[in-house]
Formats: sequence, C-alpha cells, structure tokens
Amino acid sequence: MNQRQRDHVVGYLFVLPFLISLGTFFLYAAVRTLIFSFTDYNLFNTPAFIGLSNYVAMLRDSMFTLALSNTLAFSLIVTVSQTILALLLAVMVNGVIKARGFWRTVFYLPSIMSSAAMTLIFLWLFQRQGLMTELVQFVVNARWYIAAFLAIFLAIQLALVFNARRRYDGVSLADPVFATVALGGAIVATYLLRLGALLPVYDEQFLISWLNTQARVLFLPQTLWSVALMNVFTTVPTLMLLFLAGLQSIPVALYEAAELDGAGRVRQFLYVTVPSLTPVTFAVVTLGIIGTLQMFDQVAILGDAAPLQSRITLAFYIYANAFPEGAASRIGMSSAAAILLGVLTLIIVYLQRALGISDKVDR
Amino acid sequence: MHKTKILLAGLSLLALTSAASAVDVRISGWGGAEVALVNGLITDVLAEDLKAADINVVYEPVDGDFSQFITNALSAGTAPDLFYTDIFWSRAAFGTGKVEPTTADTSPFAPNLIDAFTYDGKVMALPKDFNTLALQYNKDIFDDAGVAYPTDDETWATLQDKLVAIHAKLPDVNGLCVVPDYARFAAFALGSGWEPFNAEGKTVLDGNFKRAFAWYTGLVPAGAAVAAADVGEGWTGGCFTKELTAVAVEGAWIIGGIRDGAPNLNWGTARIPKDPESGQAGNLIFTVGWTVNADSAVKDAAQKVAELLTSEKAQQWVLEQGLALPSRSALVDNPWLQGDTPEQTVNRVVFAGLSDGNVEPFFFGDLGGAWMEPINTALNSVLTGEADVDTALAAAQAKFDGMAAQKQ
Repeated sequence: MNQRQRDHVVGYLFVLPFLISLGTFFLYAAVRTLIFSFTDYNLFNTPAFIGLSNYVAMLRDSMFTLALSNTLAFSLIVTVSQTILALLLAVMVNGVIKARGFWRTVFYLPSIMSSAAMTLIFLWLFQRQGLMTELVQFVVNARWYIAAFLAIFLAIQLALVFNARRRYDGVSLADPVFATVALGGAIVATYLLRLGALLPVYDEQFLISWLNTQARVLFLPQTLWSVALMNVFTTVPTLMLLFLAGLQSIPVALYEAAELDGAGRVRQFLYVTVPSLTPVTFAVVTLGIIGTLQMFDQVAILGDAAPLQSRITLAFYIYANAFPEGAASRIGMSSAAAILLGVLTLIIVYLQRALGISDKVDR
Repeated sequence: MHKTKILLAGLSLLALTSAASAVDVRISGWGGAEVALVNGLITDVLAEDLKAADINVVYEPVDGDFSQFITNALSAGTAPDLFYTDIFWSRAAFGTGKVEPTTADTSPFAPNLIDAFTYDGKVMALPKDFNTLALQYNKDIFDDAGVAYPTDDETWATLQDKLVAIHAKLPDVNGLCVVPDYARFAAFALGSGWEPFNAEGKTVLDGNFKRAFAWYTGLVPAGAAVAAADVGEGWTGGCFTKELTAVAVEGAWIIGGIRDGAPNLNWGTARIPKDPESGQAGNLIFTVGWTVNADSAVKDAAQKVAELLTSEKAQQWVLEQGLALPSRSALVDNPWLQGDTPEQTVNRVVFAGLSDGNVEPFFFGDLGGAWMEPINTALNSVLTGEADVDTALAAAQAKFDGMAAQKQ
C-alpha cells in the first residue's frame, strides 16, 4: 500500500462512523418509508403492494389538505417574520451601544428553554382567562395611559439620543441604555398621571380564545397564529446569533466607503449589510423553512387544548396516522405523507434559491 | 468450619435450583398510582400463590403513552408476557393477531366487562377493574345555598334547577364545569336513547342526540354551569376540588384528585341524572384488562399470573384500599362497599352505573378516538360561542358521513 492509498483508507475510516449512521438512520429509513408508502401496512400484517392508493386517499382526505395549507401558511409567516426580526435584533445588538454582552444574553435567553417547557408556559399564558387575555384587557382598558406612556417614553428617548449625537457619532436611535432611562422616566410620569387620575380608565371584561377556537385569521387558524408567535419568540435568538456572526465578518471598509459616498444609515443597511449577509440569510431562511415545515412538538403538546383542525400540521398528520388514538396504525398513509413532506421541503428550498436567496455574496 | 462450608454450598445449590425452576413472567402496565397497586399485589397479597405456582413476576411499569409502547413492542417482538389493555384502544391491540385469548373461567366477572373485551367471539383480556361516571356533589355548597342534595332519581331538569338555584344564591360558585368531551357528555347523550352506531354501523346525530346536546351546552347560558376552560381547568373534577363548582361528573378516580387537592372536602355521590323524556340514564364503561402476549414463551404461566391478579383475593384487597373497583360480580356484596364514607359511596354508585339504562363501553370500533372528534369539536364550538347548536351538529354530521364514505 503506497502513501496515497493509505491516505484514502484513513480518509474513509474518518468518515465511516458518519456514513454508517447516515446509511442506517437516513438512507435505509428513507427507502423503507418510500416502500411502505406504496403498501397497506399496520405494523403487524405483511405489507401488501397497493400502488398509489395511499397517495390518492391522502389527497382526498380533507384533514390532509387542511394540514398542508396550515403547514405552508405557518412556514411562510414564521420564516419571514423570524428572519426579519432576527436581522433587526442582530443589527441592534451589534450597534455601538453600552452593555452589549448583557443585551445579547437577555435576547438569547428564550432559546435555551426546551420547546416542551416553553409550550406549557405558553399554554398557560394563552388560557381564555390567562395572562395574554388580561394583557389585552389591560391595554384596552388603560389605553389612554398607555398612549401617554409611549409619548413620554419617545420624547425622553429622542431628547437623550439627539443630545448625545451632538458629542458622539453613531448613537443608535434605539440605544438600550437611553431606552432604560426613558423607560424609568415614562413610568414615573405615567404613575404621577394616574395618581392625579387625569385620564379615563375603562372596565371592559371579555374572554379571548387564543388556542381553543376554530376561527381563522387570514389564511391560518387563529390557534396556529398563537403557535407562530411562540415559535418566533423561541427561534429568533438563535438566528440572531447567526446574523451577529455574519455582521462581524463584514469589513468596516465597506461602511467607510459607503459613508464617503454619502450613504446614510438606512442606505448602508440596505446596500451594504443586507447584501453582505446573503450567505447567512440563506442559512437562516433554509433552517427556518425546514424547521417550520416539520413543526410538530408544539402542536402535539397542545393536544386537546385546541381543536384538531385548528392545529393540524403535516408532521402531526404523519404522527396521527402512525399512532392513531385507539385505532390500528396506518403506516402506509403515514409514510406517503412523510415522503410528500420530504419532497415538499426539497422543492421549497430549491425555489428559495431560484428566487434569489442564494448562498453566495453578490456584491 | 468444614461442615459449615458444605452446608453453605448445599444451601446455595438448593437456592440455585429453585431459582432456575421458577418461570420468569414479565408483566407491564402504566405508571402513576398503578405501580403501588401492582407491587402490593405481587410482593404482598399474591406472594405465596406465585411461589406455589413457581412463577417469578418481573414487573416493568411504563411511563408515557402505553398504547404506543405496546404497539411498538408487539410489532418488534419485545412485548412483555402479560400487559394492560385499556378498553379504549383494545380493538387496535386485539387486531394485531399478537394477542392470546384468555383461558380463565370468565363466568365470575361482570358480563358487561367480558362483553367489552370479547373480540371475534373470544375473550382477549381478563378485566382487572372498571369505572363508570357518577355525579359527585359538594355537601357544604348545597348546605350553604339551602338546596337539597342531588338524589339518585334526579332528572336533567331537576338537576339544572338545583344548580341554577345554587349559582343564584352563591354567585361565586357555579353548578358544574362542562367540558367539550364525549367521555363525559356521553352520560347524557346515551341517556336520551341515542345510539352511537345504528344498525348499519353509521353514526346519526338524531333528535335524541340533539336534545342531550342542547341541554348540555345550554347549561352555561342557563346559569347552571361554566365551561371548564373559562375557569382555567381541564376536567370537571378540577373545578370540583377547587370548590369552583357544586357538582362534578367523574368516575371513582376523582378520589385521587380529592385526596391530593382537597382532602377535607365534604362530598357525596349520586347517580347520573336521567333524561326526563326517555326516563333513562346513560353511562360509559371504562375498563382495563390483563392480556397475554401470543408470542410469549411462557404463555401458560402468564395466563396463571393474569388469573391470580384478578382473583377474588386480589380484588378484595384492591377494593379495600379504595384504589379501584373489582371486575368480579360477587364483590358487589362486599361489606366494604356498603359503608358511608365518600369513597365507599362513590365506589358503590360507580358499581351501580354498570347497570344504568344505556351503558356502552368506551371504544369506537376501527375508528378509535377519531370517532369522538366531530362531537368534541361541536361541543367546543357551541361552548365557546362560535356556533349555534344546529350549525355545530350539521358540521359534525358531515364529518361522520365523510368517515363512513372513507371507510367504504
């Protein structure tokens, strides 16, 4: 064996453990799923080949079409909003501000919780008489005070920022330290207003079904809007870290050149930051699409807290067919849906690349 | 010294041979309160009998979704020799062909329970215990409101009147927590004379069903009930133990909830009220049995363990612990059941529920839990005010028709 051959062998040995696990848990499993999708199989009978019957039955199943539309809508909403929010948060944290480490930690906190624990907390928050309802009631009833609070907050913040800008460059409009001061000021001022009872307070009582409802808002069940809110809350921090890493690799020279050309902060963001981050954005959007198309745990934990049709997603449809409550497994149907979800994911990621979010920087 | 050694060697050899001849039988059920119960049976009550039969029971309780566990284990060939089967998913388990019919004499068991576990003419599980629904009431709340306690001859209308009177007198207390769940609503739906499946095997939500449905969902606007979710609870027993409501509709399992949540609650139990029109009460049978794995290498020993675990001796002990109701008819005359403590009363009433007018086991053929979904959704949409009775029932009927069409 010469050196070259030996290198080959060593190389293969290094990737062997990965190849074995990939072969067993992905290739073998995927091929078996594909085969099962053409059979009538309940884990106990001999799988009988039935051609495309599972796929036909699936397309005729109203629950499947509902799951498909729910999944697509959920994926679109969550991916778009979490990408934009993560980018904005990253830019904010990356800006010239005080106590950056502190804010980065605070923003990252939601991501370290397990999604099961998070869902249980949200279930509690989203009860009909829960905290979210109370929050909405509070906002509605104290609307005048909230408006006053916001106005005072904005006034203090703007005053502080413009005052600082006379001495330093690049003070962000949303500077968190000034914001903290403004917050304190606004709280005190609003409290004084309340003490003097200068504005009206209402007493409207109502209940809101956040989860347990069949209502639809736009093209998605209201239940899934609530789940989307929770999903965005938990995934934004991780995606923010990716953007933050990307932001720190953008050469400062680019911003300097743009500034010399007369570009303001908004233009710098649009024409330097966003294009330079394309590879990161690709990763973030791809991860988002895959994660949201396969969203399962949160709706599974919801369980009976919401009607099935308001929470069903493709991944849950697959599970519900594999382990239907109190009935025999429908592995064929379940496999057919799983194959369809896989193909759908591939197509959407491909479309995303074709539509311009690529993994290459285009300067 | 030398003698002691020989004696010791002899003794250990004896121990080895006796251990080797004892047959290991793996048994499995779910966790929670059941663990103490089964452990008590095998290590205490039945220890001698098991030893005499030369059987060593290896108990492996499973936390989490038991039906999923047993489906996977049966298909993978790793299932225990003897395991719990809940009536709710029993058909899915029996249909696997991996289940052995029981060899025990089934005549001492309650016929309803044996019927519930009969599949293709064979009894596939030995019922170990059961539950039905009953009406629990908080005596203090009734006393404070000056309303008479519910009786065994209550009708829907008379119960509603009592609950409305309580809420009128004590505005902070509601009559009942209603839940959008067939597992509770069935006590009334079945009482109306409605049958879940008609002669052709189809589900038709007829006039009887609608009467029960309208009454049940109408309890809230009438001031007799509140939706459990609206007071942050998930079951009628949760509202009851927190004294948010005067009555609950649960089985004997409520004892556990009361023990944990309100040990000093002063409560009683009455039978499910009757439909004033049909004059009958409905009920559901919840039951769990022991099933032998057809692939087990020690089937005979497993059958023997199942018999011992459901023997009169075992059930007497379980009953006296107040843990579950016995499946053997003879135990209905047990002196313990005649007592007057709340636990004894609820057990006695639950026992009586077995002979309510229209009582059905809690399972729904090949459809499983999916069968309940249209009814639960309909209940939910009316209780949350998103639909009226007619719209909700029309949507549910359309789903049942869809299911029937899909099945063909």
